Amino acid sequence: MSLHDLIIEPLSHGFMQRGLASAVLLSISGGLLGSVLILRRMALMGDALAHSLLPGIALAWLLVGRGPLALLAGALTAGLLTALASALLSRLSRLKEDASFGAFFLIAYAGGIALVSQAGTRLDLLHFLFGHILGVGPADLALAAAAAGLTVLLFALLRRGIVLEIFDPVFARTAGFRGGWFHAGFLVLAVLNLVAALQTMGVILALGLFLLPAATAYLWCDRFRTMLALAAALGATGSTAGLLWSYHSGLASGPAIVLSLGLGFIFAALASPRYGLLRALHLAWRERRAVRHTAD
Amino acid sequence: MHSGHHQHDIFRLRDVTVHYGRRCALDRITAQIPCGGLVALVGPNGAGKSTLLRSLLGWLPLTAGEIRLGDHHPRHLHPRLAYVPQRAEVEWDFPVSVGEVVAQGRWPALGLFRRFRDSDHALVTKALAELELAPLADEQIRRLSGGQQQRMFLARAVAQGADIFLLDEPFNGLDLSATAELIHLLQGWQAQGRTVIAAIHDLALVRAHFPHALLLDTRLIAAGPTAEALSDANLDLAYRHRVPVLGARP
Repeated sequence: MSLHDLIIEPLSHGFMQRGLASAVLLSISGGLLGSVLILRRMALMGDALAHSLLPGIALAWLLVGRGPLALLAGALTAGLLTALASALLSRLSRLKEDASFGAFFLIAYAGGIALVSQAGTRLDLLHFLFGHILGVGPADLALAAAAAGLTVLLFALLRRGIVLEIFDPVFARTAGFRGGWFHAGFLVLAVLNLVAALQTMGVILALGLFLLPAATAYLWCDRFRTMLALAAALGATGSTAGLLWSYHSGLASGPAIVLSLGLGFIFAALASPRYGLLRALHLAWRERRAVRHTAD
Repeated sequence: MHSGHHQHDIFRLRDVTVHYGRRCALDRITAQIPCGGLVALVGPNGAGKSTLLRSLLGWLPLTAGEIRLGDHHPRHLHPRLAYVPQRAEVEWDFPVSVGEVVAQGRWPALGLFRRFRDSDHALVTKALAELELAPLADEQIRRLSGGQQQRMFLARAVAQGADIFLLDEPFNGLDLSATAELIHLLQGWQAQGRTVIAAIHDLALVRAHFPHALLLDTRLIAAGPTAEALSDANLDLAYRHRVPVLGARP
């Protein structure tokens, strides 16, 4: 297969161009959001949030149709309701936050699957869950651009507040930065980006585009700014590779992108010069040998 | 720049009460805390030491009562007031360097948007030098020793331009030599007229090095010169509900 067949021919299709542009745009904002999720130890919470959007998206589709704004409104409602209900329950009952959030997101997710499978064909459900590259229309691309643009703009403007909110919230308060906007704003931004990534990634794997590049970058660098930039670059590279793979193999685009990003992550987890497994094993082995020598 | 006139400032607390939901963390604290020296906040776990520190910083909403320094609400005293967090509360794997953390000290003055000027950079450099951290400025913060980590947050507070330092359990997790080093450093600050108000659970350390103490058990048990405030009778009052823990009592 020539380079032309591999890369250029696929990109001559409008849907591939739109899918690729949308994935690259969302990689940029996703790297930022994923970095915050990881540093605040909210990776699993973010995953649960992504799943809980399904009933809102499905309802909006059934009632209004598949315009991005309707989907966004449905997803925002479902996400906010799940977050609020679980926050309320964990505050007022003995259930802790993870349990109440876990319970609500499962209910929401099951409700969403029931809605989609009752209303549409089975094929539609698979597209919802795993992404479908043919589904990226011009309006979806516009939404991706808006989501990415807004995210990058807010991060650039509020970076000091974001760093302190993660790193040292009490100092953030004394510096006069308010915390309330952070949580609400972050939730809205995350939902916005998840909905924008829906067509390409699907509900189940959408967070992979955010989380994996950020986790890979986190294993590789020691500065916040570098981490954000690296995560964005990794996301763009991995999603491009994943889309091309999906085009050639017929694999759904969501899993193809996540697997490409996963390859980078596993490489970093093994080989990162400072935080990789191989280095940790090497250090442990050297230590043991040193101990044995002393014992002799 | 830190001499003289600040020494006569006095924190005045009147009926300071803080509730978290239904739980009462501070109950009608009325006290005066003189500035210009080392002051310890002492009490059992859950006595409200950290809550009182945060109240003194001015952003924790009081359920009742008021706190003033001179005529001012603490909120209007920044950047004079600086907070030094408990080491356990910080995410040490955050991708950030020592120099960057110290530079955060300028953020309260600059806010979200204003850029660093030469004078800001100079303050950061000076704070790094004062706390002997200049050679470590580019290190990721996890790679510092416990004593160096504590000094990094003191440097951030110095870069802020503070003269009143609120420390939350600064000696927690420090080994003997790091503890001695930190005490030496704080005594130097005392001589310069800086004020250190620290939440500390180690009574022996307070007795030996902190001239002034407040003893808390949600309410104020005693305040004043340490020997008087931490009398046996007062300690019995503060710790009476607690199961004795090895080392918690002298």
